[in-house]
Amino acid sequence: MLTPFLSGAIVLIALPALMTFALAFMRYDALTPPVWNGVENFTAIFQRDVFWIVVRNTLIFALSAAPLQALGALGLALLLHPQRRGAPIYRSTVYLSSVLPDVAYALIWLWLLNPLYGPVNLALAWAGLPTPAWLVDPRTALGALVLVAAVRVGEGMLLLIAARRTVPSSLFDAATIDGAGAWQSFRTITLPLLTPWLLLLLIRDLAMAVHSSFTPVYIMTGGGPGYATTLLPFLIYEAAFTHLRIGQASAMMTVMFAIVGLLVWMVSVLMRRWGVFDAL
Amino acid sequence: MIRLMIWVIWLGVGALMLAACVQPIQLTVQAERTSITFLISGDPADEDAYRTLVDAFMTANPDVQVEVINIPGQGDFSRRLAADFAASAPPDVFLINYRRYGPYVARGAIEPLDDLLARSAQISRSDFYPQALTAFTWGGQLMCLPQNMSSPVIYYNKTLFDAGNIPYPANSWTWDDFLATAQALTLDLNGDGAIDQHGFGVEPTLVRAAPFVWMNGGEIVDDPVAPTRLTLDSPESRAALAWFVALQTEHHVTPGAVAEAAESSLSRFLNGRLAMYVESRRVVPEFRRIDAFDWDVAPLPAGRRPASILHSDAFCMAAASPHKEAAWRFIEFANTRTGQTILARTGRTVPSRTELAEAPAFLDPGAKPANSRIFLDAIPTLRIFPALATWNDIEAAVNAELTQAFYGQISLDEALRAAEMRSAEFLR
Repeated sequence: MLTPFLSGAIVLIALPALMTFALAFMRYDALTPPVWNGVENFTAIFQRDVFWIVVRNTLIFALSAAPLQALGALGLALLLHPQRRGAPIYRSTVYLSSVLPDVAYALIWLWLLNPLYGPVNLALAWAGLPTPAWLVDPRTALGALVLVAAVRVGEGMLLLIAARRTVPSSLFDAATIDGAGAWQSFRTITLPLLTPWLLLLLIRDLAMAVHSSFTPVYIMTGGGPGYATTLLPFLIYEAAFTHLRIGQASAMMTVMFAIVGLLVWMVSVLMRRWGVFDAL
Repeated sequence: MIRLMIWVIWLGVGALMLAACVQPIQLTVQAERTSITFLISGDPADEDAYRTLVDAFMTANPDVQVEVINIPGQGDFSRRLAADFAASAPPDVFLINYRRYGPYVARGAIEPLDDLLARSAQISRSDFYPQALTAFTWGGQLMCLPQNMSSPVIYYNKTLFDAGNIPYPANSWTWDDFLATAQALTLDLNGDGAIDQHGFGVEPTLVRAAPFVWMNGGEIVDDPVAPTRLTLDSPESRAALAWFVALQTEHHVTPGAVAEAAESSLSRFLNGRLAMYVESRRVVPEFRRIDAFDWDVAPLPAGRRPASILHSDAFCMAAASPHKEAAWRFIEFANTRTGQTILARTGRTVPSRTELAEAPAFLDPGAKPANSRIFLDAIPTLRIFPALATWNDIEAAVNAELTQAFYGQISLDEALRAAEMRSAEFLR
C-alpha cells in the first residue's frame, strides 16, 4: 500500500535532499563537474552580510506569519463551526484563498496593495487613514508579506473546525449549568482541548511559511526594496539559477533545513512538555 | 459481448501496429531536417523580428528547422539558460548581452567562433565594428557574433513637447539643458498636488548611470581589464551619481518609488504620460506601434567628455550543441548582409556590420525614429564594462543599492559603501 508513496517520497524528496547536502560541500556551477571544497561554501555565505539580513528576515517572517495564521484559523473556526445559516458560504469563502494557486494569490495581492491604484489604499484614503506604500517602502514591505501569508487560513480553519466538533457538547452543557460564561468555557474547555491541534498547525505553518514564501517574494517584490523582503528560498533560487552558485545555494539550503528543523523541534519540545502528544 | 470486446481490442492493437509501421517512414522524412533551438528574450515585437529572420533562414536552408524559444524578461531568460545548461540540454544558439555571458564563457560552455568565421565564405571579421567584436572576445578568442551596436538614447514624446511649447532636444544638449527640459515637462495637470506627467523615466541601474559617470571623468572600476575595486566613490564618479540620483530625490522629474511601483516609467511613456525615457535601440519595434503620439530620439545630454555604453547582443553557440554545423549556418546567415538587413528593417537593431549602419534599412527616413543617426554618432564614444565571469554579481550588488539611493531610501554615500562592500568578493 505504502510503496507508491514511499518511492515517490524517496525519488522526489529524500534523494534530492541528500544530493543537496552533498553539493553543499562542493563547488558546483551546473556547467562544470562538481569539485569537493569542504566547508568553503559555508564560509563564503557566512561572510556575507546579506546572508544574515536574509536569515533575520526569514525568521521574522516565519515567526510572525505562522502564529498569526494559527490564531486567524482558530478565530474563524470558532466563529464558523456552528451549523447556522450562511456558515457554509463563509467557510467556502475563507477556504477559497487556500484553493487559489500561489501565483494567482500573489498577483491578486500585488494588485490589492498597489500603492496608488490598489483597493486597500483607496479604501484607507476614503476613510481618511494613512496610506502606506506597502511593498515599496522598506519599513512596511516585510510586514505586508506577513499579512498576505497570515490571511491564508483556509486549511487551518477546516482542521480546527473538525477538531472543535470532536469536543462533546456535554462538556459545554455542564459548564453552563455550573455558571461558566462564554469566555470561561473557551479558556477552560475549548482552548485546552484544541491546543494539540493548534500546535500541530503551528509546526506545519512554520515549515510552510519558510518554504512557501518563494512565490510571493518572486512575484510581488523580487526581494526588494534593497533586501527588505529577500527570504532564504528566494536567495537560494537566485544564487543557484541566476548566479550559477549551486554549491553555495545548497549550503544555504542546508542552513534553511537546520533552521526549520530547529523551529519544529522547539515546538515539539513544548508539546512534549505540555503532554500534548499524549492528548493526541 | 465478450467476443465483441475482444474484436475491439484486436482492432486497437492492429491500429497501433499500423501506426508503428507508418511512423518510421515519417521519421525518415523528418530525419533529413536538422532541428536546432534558438533562445531569445524579448517582447512580442522582438519575437516577431526574430521570427522574420528565422523564416528567411529556413526558406534559404530548407534542411534546417529553427525553433524560436522566447523567454520575456532578462531575469527569467538568465534562469532558463542556466537551467538548460544544468540539464545538459542547452539551446543550440542563444542571444545574449556581453554583460551577462561571462559565467558561460568562463566555464567553456560557449563554442569559440574564430575558426568558423575565418572559414566562412559569406562573412568576415572586417565586416563588423571592432568595438562589438571586442565585447565578445574572451582570452583572445571571438566567442559569439554580435548582431548589433546599440547604445542608450533618450526617446521623447514630441506631442508632449509641442503641447508645452518646448523645443525638441538638440543633439548637442547638456546636462543642464536636459534637467531644465525635464523640469518643464513635469506637470501637475489637475492641480491636486500630485504629478500627472513626468519629464523623465529611467531604470536606476549601473548600466544607465555609467555613461554619466564616464562623461564626468569618473570610472566604474579601478582597472577596466583586471579590476580590483569599484571607484564609484571617486569625486568625479560620485558627483555624476549625485546628479543622477538628484533627478528623483531633489528635482522629482522621474516617478518616485510609489509611482514607479504603481506604473512603470516604460508604461507611462507608452501611455503618453512621461515625456522622455532612456532605452537602447531594442524598444523601437514596440514604439513603432504607438499611434497616439509622435516620438523621436535624442542623444544622452553631453557632459565634460563624450561617453556612452555599448549595448550589444550576440549569437552564441553552445559548446555542447549536437548540431554545430546547422547552428553555425544560422548564425552566419543572421549576420550576413541579408540577415542583418531583416533585423534592421524591423527597427530592432543598430547593425554591427559597418556597411549596413549607413544603409537605408537602418537610416530609413520613412521609419521612426527620424533621428536614428545619433546611434551611429555615439559609436566612437562607446565603452564597455569589464569582461568578468562575476560581472553579473557586481551589477546586481550595485543595482540593489543604487535603486534605494535613487528613491531616497538610503543616502548615496550609504549606497556606495554598501555597493563597494558587497561587490568586493566578486572583484578579487
